[in-house]
Amino acid sequence: MSTTGESQNIEQATSAITDAPDNKTRRYDRQLRLWAASGQSALESSRTLVLSSSATATSILKNLVLPGIGHFTLLDPAITTTADAGNNFFINAQESIGKPRAAEALPLLRELNDSVDGEAVLKDVKELLGTEDGRETIRSFSLIIAHNLNKDVLDELAELLWADLTNPPLIVVRSAGFLADFFIQFHEHCVSQPHTDGTPSLRITRPFPELLRWARELDFDSVDPTTHAHIPFVVILVRAVDDWRAKHDDKLPSTSAEKNEFKAQLRAMKHKPDEENFDEAEAQAWRVWSEPTVPGEITSLFTLPPLSASGPTPNQSFHALLRTLNAFVGSPGGPGCLPLSAALPDMRTDTESYVKLQNLYRDRSLHEKEHFKGILSEIFPDIAAEVNEDELDAFLKNAHQLRLLRGRRWGEWAKDKSAIAEALQIFPRDAGTHVALTALSTLLSQAPDGSAVTADALRAEVQTLVGEGVELPEEVDTAIGELARAPTAELPNTAAFLGGMVAQEAIKMITKQYVPVNGYCVVDLIDSTTGIVGTP
Amino acid sequence: MAAATVLNGNAPSADWPGRYHHVDQILDKPGPRTDPSFLAGPGVKEFLRDQCKILVIGAGGLGCEILANLALSGFKDIHVIDMDTIDISNLNRQFLFRPKDVGKPKAIVAAEFIMSRVPGVTVTPYYGKIQDKDDDYYMQFNLVICGLDSVEARRWINATLVNLVDPENPESLKPLIDGGTEGFKGQARVILPTITSCYECSLDMLNKPTAFPICTIANTPRLPEHCIEWASVLEWPRVQGDKKLDTDNPEHIQWLYQVASARAKEFKIEGVTWSLTQGVVKNIIPAIASTNAIIAASCCNEAFKIATSSSAYLNNYFMLIGTDGVYSFTFEHQKRDDCPVCGGESLDITISREWTVDRLIEMLVERQDIQVKKPSLSSGGKQIYFQAPPQLEEATRPNLEKKVLELVEDGGDITVTATTLPFNLTLRVKYT
Ligand SMILES: [Zn+2]
Repeated sequence: MSTTGESQNIEQATSAITDAPDNKTRRYDRQLRLWAASGQSALESSRTLVLSSSATATSILKNLVLPGIGHFTLLDPAITTTADAGNNFFINAQESIGKPRAAEALPLLRELNDSVDGEAVLKDVKELLGTEDGRETIRSFSLIIAHNLNKDVLDELAELLWADLTNPPLIVVRSAGFLADFFIQFHEHCVSQPHTDGTPSLRITRPFPELLRWARELDFDSVDPTTHAHIPFVVILVRAVDDWRAKHDDKLPSTSAEKNEFKAQLRAMKHKPDEENFDEAEAQAWRVWSEPTVPGEITSLFTLPPLSASGPTPNQSFHALLRTLNAFVGSPGGPGCLPLSAALPDMRTDTESYVKLQNLYRDRSLHEKEHFKGILSEIFPDIAAEVNEDELDAFLKNAHQLRLLRGRRWGEWAKDKSAIAEALQIFPRDAGTHVALTALSTLLSQAPDGSAVTADALRAEVQTLVGEGVELPEEVDTAIGELARAPTAELPNTAAFLGGMVAQEAIKMITKQYVPVNGYCVVDLIDSTTGIVGTP
Repeated sequence: MAAATVLNGNAPSADWPGRYHHVDQILDKPGPRTDPSFLAGPGVKEFLRDQCKILVIGAGGLGCEILANLALSGFKDIHVIDMDTIDISNLNRQFLFRPKDVGKPKAIVAAEFIMSRVPGVTVTPYYGKIQDKDDDYYMQFNLVICGLDSVEARRWINATLVNLVDPENPESLKPLIDGGTEGFKGQARVILPTITSCYECSLDMLNKPTAFPICTIANTPRLPEHCIEWASVLEWPRVQGDKKLDTDNPEHIQWLYQVASARAKEFKIEGVTWSLTQGVVKNIIPAIASTNAIIAASCCNEAFKIATSSSAYLNNYFMLIGTDGVYSFTFEHQKRDDCPVCGGESLDITISREWTVDRLIEMLVERQDIQVKKPSLSSGGKQIYFQAPPQLEEATRPNLEKKVLELVEDGGDITVTATTLPFNLTLRVKYT
């Protein structure tokens, strides 16, 4: 071995300080392993507006301040009540009673992370909605989160934010007792790094020239036994497919009999029964009949109509990259499929073969990236000039699992009586809780102290929502019973649960990594369930 | 700390009027899914606030959240155990700690923080191991909540609470609520020892840890991880001798990083970084505030419902995956009849007549539902193979080569013990 204790010590002495992470990296280490520097930098440049400084609102913020968002504003005119002092961890107990709630919460949230900027604005959102300056302030944030906001004000806010395609998303959170739901209003959300563990194609059935040459030129029968037992499964499969095609009119195995025959062919290539690389090839044989040129989910993105036929649309670079991807697949000099990913799974082989294979994949992937960039500069010269290398790499690396969500306006689903009636049949608990919460918000808009809330009043509201004559499942009554029991209760555990859930979705929206909820996420903390209804 | 002076859990003065406005809406009347045995009103509040004693195991990512939630829910006599001190990498989620607290015991700092923020709550910290405490200690609690990242500690507390159950004494049954997270995923569960499935029953649900074969590490490295394992598993003991590898020591990580980098360079392998080195040798699991908040809230919510009977509680497993939307699954995990902790007397195994003791040990180490590291075996009071002390190991070593059949008759029992196993496992052996 070339490394000795002494040589290490010398090397160590010369480079020790530069390699170790700085304090910021150490602090964020456990999250950087999830969303990396790109996600972190997106968080750090984000600005979040939170309406209310309730226990739920401060719990959400806590989980955004800790990972290090850039800025938050608490917009809340409320004065701390005795009840707030009892259920909100970011209130100084009795000392805060009678003082402005947002101002009391602010320092206790800010001390969680020195690098986060925050402010408390002791105003009602109604006031901001009433002036152009106020509306502009609201629109200037990256994300707006509202908890138990008065129904009419919420509708007005949602309408304002929906009015323009480039306005920020709005997260609506409603809770009472053990029940809650939340919803993200957005026009479109693009995820270039979904982290959904999809496997990129290894190009087994459409090998690039260097890979095919290796598979063809390797003399499987005359190599020494050690080499034979270390041929990478990729090379084995490419060779087996090549041989198969030669004998089968250039077709791939497709029927189950053919697939079995193909596997038998792989087994027959073994020299010894214990050659694990050939076992691996057999276990990976599914790739031969499951390597589409472009997965269906990605093809459907190619044909997605734009959000608006005229005027500015959001996510322009993502759309430009998508259209380039489509052009790439059909381009004469291209591979006829998605660009190759350089990521190679581990396999049973020796170091030399693995490194050689890895270099082939890396070189080819760089080659195809250049081809992609050529097409991009041709059709979108402006985008090509501004898109950075990291963004491009992330897009290409995830080309097989890109996600694009089209959202819905807050309240739109509520107008679709037949859809709600259908959801009540299919997901009675989740849909039942959702409509009961909507009924509650209507009653609370008439009397915020909950004095108008009775089981009968809730039931009448629900019936209006879903349409007279529609039969309600018993789950609706169960939800109504819970809401009538505790119409204004903001339980510490429910607040903390939502604090985690909503912050998680906010992080996904801000970082454009991982996939956020599309629809109403309904939480029932008696049965301890979550469910999604109203997905577009 | 000023909090020490207001630290009387029973001080009624701490309960200002309206303090429990929110929680009391639940405690003052039943809901549609409340058990008829629920006695709404002062009785249940008094039990929750003046009598109920709850133990929190772990004051880390989940523990900090659990303590805050319990205090706000009205639990006033809370105990917390944690053997760790605060590290800078905890600060992205363990929200009761600040940079000035780095190096201090988690249990103590967390307890002081809760008492200073939530008046009238007593949090009694213990900075040490759960194994330091005996049955009498655990017997004093009504409920136990676990927020741990260690499988071993969970198995220990689970076995301890199952063994604590005395059918003659209903008070001896301590509900155990267990939470765990990894990145955007997590789970919360309610264990009623001896009644529902226990932690040991579900051991096979755990992900198998990635283990790299030693021959790959030594001869055919391909991934940066292989080079790092080579540095820590083979090179460290070879070069550093008896010096113990401390994965919390940055100089040790630096050394491994350098050695792994040199090996990677030699084999033209890319991707060895400081962060990966640390991740591999410390087996770092990604962790964020939001997932911990969800799971801790779920655990505390169950604790609240069990302590007050105000609503039905989780039966018995809540699993959450938050990577692609929000997906959760709530189900009843089944008790395992042959669970070595809460099930039958012994675990049946069928092995070949040709198997040696060594082969049997290999099988035990591999089995996901047993998870034992260095098992010692005996049968009918006779030692088969003992890992320690050294003299005994030496004396029993020749048995490794013997066939199991020579030592244990068909249908005979083998007792398995190990330091990582908080109970004795009995195997009933059958031969094919
Ligand atoms: Zn069990």
